[in-house]
Amino acid sequence: MSEKPLRGGRAAGDRPAARIPRDAIAGAGVLLFCFAAYLVTLTFKEAPQALAQNVQPATFPRLVLGVMSVLATVIIVMSFRLPDKEAKPIHLMVWPSAAVMVGFVIAFDILGILPAMMLLCFGLPLLWGERRLHLIIPYAIIFPLVIYGLFAVVLGVHFEPSPLVFW
Amino acid sequence: MDIFLTTAAMFADPYLIGVILVGTVGGVLVGAMPGLSSTMATALLLPFTLTMEPIPAISLLSALYCAGTFGGSITAILVNAPGAPPAAATAFDGYPLAQQGRAGLALGIATVSSTIGGIFSIIVLIVAAPMLARVAYDFGPPEYFALALFGLSMLASISGESAFKNLLGGAFGVLIATIGMDITTGVDRFTFGFWELSEGVHFIPVMIGLFAGSEFLTQAGNLDRKVVRAAIDAVKLPSWPEFRTTLGTVARSCGIGAFIGLLPAEGGTVAAMIGYNEAKRWAKDKSMFGKGDIRGVAGPETANNAATGAAMVPTLALGIPGSATTAVILGALLVHGLRPGPHLFNETPTLLYGIFIAMLLANLMFMGLGLLGAKLFARVTLIPTRFLWPTVFIMACIGSYALEQAIMDVWIMVIAGLAGYFLKRFGFSAAPIIMGLILGELVETSLKQSLIMFDHSWLGFLERPIVVVFILLTIASFAMPAIAGYRDRLRAKMPPSADVPGD
Repeated sequence: MSEKPLRGGRAAGDRPAARIPRDAIAGAGVLLFCFAAYLVTLTFKEAPQALAQNVQPATFPRLVLGVMSVLATVIIVMSFRLPDKEAKPIHLMVWPSAAVMVGFVIAFDILGILPAMMLLCFGLPLLWGERRLHLIIPYAIIFPLVIYGLFAVVLGVHFEPSPLVFW
Repeated sequence: MDIFLTTAAMFADPYLIGVILVGTVGGVLVGAMPGLSSTMATALLLPFTLTMEPIPAISLLSALYCAGTFGGSITAILVNAPGAPPAAATAFDGYPLAQQGRAGLALGIATVSSTIGGIFSIIVLIVAAPMLARVAYDFGPPEYFALALFGLSMLASISGESAFKNLLGGAFGVLIATIGMDITTGVDRFTFGFWELSEGVHFIPVMIGLFAGSEFLTQAGNLDRKVVRAAIDAVKLPSWPEFRTTLGTVARSCGIGAFIGLLPAEGGTVAAMIGYNEAKRWAKDKSMFGKGDIRGVAGPETANNAATGAAMVPTLALGIPGSATTAVILGALLVHGLRPGPHLFNETPTLLYGIFIAMLLANLMFMGLGLLGAKLFARVTLIPTRFLWPTVFIMACIGSYALEQAIMDVWIMVIAGLAGYFLKRFGFSAAPIIMGLILGELVETSLKQSLIMFDHSWLGFLERPIVVVFILLTIASFAMPAIAGYRDRLRAKMPPSADVPGD
């Protein structure tokens, strides 16, 4: 049976010992996160004893952070004992799509929901390689109008009027 | 009985029937679409139910849950891409059957066994939920704390790359639940100056983000993937000799699915995997498994549907979700001003009977839809990804916004989506985080109340028998993955001849 090649054309068998397992990286990331979150808990206000009844606002989050740190440590330790799994590289299209996610919320806030939806429905299929404008244009107009009508008119959801566009 | 009859009479209303039909059709469609799951669909649909009365709202979501679990089998059989995670095991034998030109039979078996499993689970729900609720009447804060802890410990055994990662995910969810104002002291925690966070993070935007947002990014990376659909003539009911060969498997899977569903945090995916493995283990002739054995379709399909109603038992009776989808339904109950738990059975019995009837009708409806319209439902795989996923993303944003009509919730959804995508790459599942987020408040509140009750002595927990039972169960569920791992390592070392017969 042939061994699965790793990135860089190496075979799984001759993996250099120095390579850090993915789970160890994940565990270390969690430990860092826990440390940062612990520092944040130091900024929590102390409550009067009569109110807190021996359980200060920071007590429970610190307990949870402690549990998370223990679990992360176990994951790190185990990662060096178990075979590492090779992950597929992130597809290039993921990054602009993630930017679109963030951009949509900004557009929602600045332009309002309807223009933001129309922009997304027009731009995202184009970004993803769709070139049939006779499909994209009706989709970018009709779908946002239907969704807006459904939520704003039928379900009575209030959308804030944007500073730039009146709806 | 009077209440049951009154509730049943309500279902003569065409509106309510229409709502269940919409939920069922929507569930089958969503379930059939690879990447979309019933969990995601119920989360996306929840905002639509805000203006509805509680009974139609919860009936709609329950119908969607039942039908979505079944719908996944359609694409599992025809495309070899399970529409929803619970149908993953169905593809093992369903797709080979479709390749042999027996897609109609595979879909027929899936439809019939799903219906049997679904109806069995409703019987379990009707019998077990009130019984469990009666027991839960005696529960105080220490019992609820121990129960929630047990629910979280069960995360160790749900599907995913590692038990410890699931537990870590659950703990992370509990940590997210601490965001906002501390109920007892009024002190803000992890709000970073955003007043919108003072009320805490609602789990619906997080859930939508973790499921729909992260899947949106996954799909962005799969745009080049071509879907090859097996040909289908017509869905046909299995003949009696064919069905007879699956009877034992169906009966076993009913029990497996219902038992797994009853456990907090476990769901249809685990049930289906065990259902498949047991179907194979008990079969005298295992040679056709993986090559197109109808028992390999009946086993997982019965089990995952048998888990649906059963998963509603802890959800309704204890307020502890039995699966990720029931977690959304639990959220829907809260949104509609209802508090799941034993008091629900006294305060709103009509709602409970409504759920029972809605789930029963949904099962009967998807049987009809499955037999008559599976060919049509399979066409959902033809919807281009380049249009489908922008649509899902917009629905996710609007759905998150509609709940509180706050842009902060949309940000939370997007952040959860981005985080979910990268967490998934490192082997962390979304379901444990959601479970932790839902149980987090209960864990903290009940722990604080218990400590006050016990005058801050942790030993006080050991004086309560129910708590001790839950603590022992918690220890057992922590130990189970370790024992299973040890057993697997031991088996791997054994020569093939020493393997356990039947495996």
